[in-house]
Amino acid sequence: MKNKLFEKYFVFSPYFWLVLFFFIPLAIIFKISISVSEWGMPPYQNIFLFDNGFKINTTFENYLYIFSDYYYIGSFINSLILALISTFFCLLIGFPLAFYIATSNIRLRNILLVLVVIPFWSSFLLRVYAWKIILQNNGILNVILLNLGITSEPLQLLYNQYAVIMGIVYTYLPLMILPLYGYLNKFDLNLIEASKDLGLNRFKTFFKVILPLSIPGIIAGSLLVFIPVVGEFIIPEMLGGSDRLYYGKILWEEFFINRNWPGASALAFSGIIILVLPIVIFQILYSRWSQKNEI
Amino acid sequence: MDKNFLVIENISKSFGENKVLEDINLNISKSEFFGLLGSSGSGKSTMLRILGGFEKPDTGRVILDGVDITNLEPFDRPLNYMFQSYALFPHLNVFNNLSFGIKENYSQKEIEIKVREIAELLSIEHLINRRIKQLSGGEQQRVALGRCLIKKPKLLLLDEPLAALDKKLRSKTQLELITLQKKLKITFVFVTHDQEEAMSLSDRMAIMKNGLILECSSPEEIYENPKSLYTANFIGIANIIEIYKKDENFYSDDLGINIKLNKEFKNTKTNILLRPEKIKIQSINNLKTSSFNSFCGEILEKSYLGSFTRYEIKINNKIISVLDQNFNSNSNYNFPKGEKVICSWESESIKILED
Repeated sequence: MKNKLFEKYFVFSPYFWLVLFFFIPLAIIFKISISVSEWGMPPYQNIFLFDNGFKINTTFENYLYIFSDYYYIGSFINSLILALISTFFCLLIGFPLAFYIATSNIRLRNILLVLVVIPFWSSFLLRVYAWKIILQNNGILNVILLNLGITSEPLQLLYNQYAVIMGIVYTYLPLMILPLYGYLNKFDLNLIEASKDLGLNRFKTFFKVILPLSIPGIIAGSLLVFIPVVGEFIIPEMLGGSDRLYYGKILWEEFFINRNWPGASALAFSGIIILVLPIVIFQILYSRWSQKNEI
Repeated sequence: MDKNFLVIENISKSFGENKVLEDINLNISKSEFFGLLGSSGSGKSTMLRILGGFEKPDTGRVILDGVDITNLEPFDRPLNYMFQSYALFPHLNVFNNLSFGIKENYSQKEIEIKVREIAELLSIEHLINRRIKQLSGGEQQRVALGRCLIKKPKLLLLDEPLAALDKKLRSKTQLELITLQKKLKITFVFVTHDQEEAMSLSDRMAIMKNGLILECSSPEEIYENPKSLYTANFIGIANIIEIYKKDENFYSDDLGINIKLNKEFKNTKTNILLRPEKIKIQSINNLKTSSFNSFCGEILEKSYLGSFTRYEIKINNKIISVLDQNFNSNSNYNFPKGEKVICSWESESIKILED
């Protein structure tokens, strides 16, 4: 009887996880974001005041402040663009790789999958730092280019938005490949042969058969890359220059340098709403559509 | 009739160390329904995939209607391939599956006419707007067939066309497939591991084993006059009896009797085939055993199968299968288990197996 009860509630454990580690922190952030800031520790006033009878002490000024300053909105837009470009390149590189892995024989497939995952076994910071060494003015790449006579003086490869995009694509590529592989693995290769047999060349077969049937995998992989890249802080910090400000960095500065917790919380909360709400709506619509079309 | 409509010339294929096809030669006529029969690993599917263009042969040529198609890509070949799994596109409905291969060459109006024609031919008009997952196995098979036939191919390749259907549907579809093929006069080449399917569908068939073609002939010829022991055993039920020359006659140690052959045979030792339905079974009271082509045995097993009864008859240590047709509704004609009976046959019924 006890076991049955356990089984019954065991199903809810993911929700318990979600509430404990997502909704409660989110609620705390929301609470801070509507608090009045002050000098002190913590750097905001309580929401509920009891000294002269009960009083609710909230403000929406933090939100007004963020949305009135292009500094914040602009950095968020920069991050969105960065995430879009990075996701696009991850897809461009990841799709052929995932397809190749999914269609190769089982032995090669396992080796390739391990190769995809292997970077995760070393420190993320170390890997990004390694790129710094490769791209810096007297780094490996510049030395090679100079010795080959391709350039006469070292190229400025580091500290710009291109280095950031490259670093992100490099870091997030496995997150694109793995879900794509998961879908393509189930792909019936006879469908490709059937399409060719019916007269479509490789190019048309890709667009009429492979691509439409990979849409769920493409969406899963793209979201897995896009969402964290919007808030990415370390890679722009290490590889990026002062040419572009990104959301993650602004958030960090508001919290730890300006110690404006309510403002930073408002920024974080707005970011989540702007980012997550459309994605959730899209996911619901998409799952309805795909159920109807039975993909 | 063009006897060399499809010519398969010296085709060999290996996958690594594994030789899958060894020097295959076949000539298939126009409008022929041709079967490739073999157990798994015989190379029959690889042969079909080479015809479809999905595998390239190591050596040899494939010539279709006078054109060498060996090095053509699947999308450049004037033939179509029906997959065992049907390989219907799950993201498209029946209409779009049927019109998949003709979309580029015709206007929307022409496509609609063609789809309607083919749907009528296969009686699937009512399914046109369905999604693939809403179809039964038999319906999917028709859509797969229609998707190929709408292209009016010179040659249709079918990989185990009926394997995914249940037994009752299978025999119905068999007849439909034959009717359709005769009506359209398209050359069909199919592979199967099911000997009954091969016999009932094929005009001619080839028996494959270990990458070789053992025999290629009409089903009747292969059943009645198989050349090899393998074929004799593979197709239908076979009684194989070893005989050797003793004095002027052939003698079987297993049956303990003399065997009379109706033709000259020079070797001193061979196997003969005696099909179970060629053996006449009689009550021991009616006849005496003659010294040639008959023996007296005991009924070991008996299974009544409606139109005929199958007996397993034991003589010495050999068991001979006999199919006795139930001419008479009187059950007295059935022999009980354990009864001694006389089995006899005509000399013409004996087939010598050469290897």
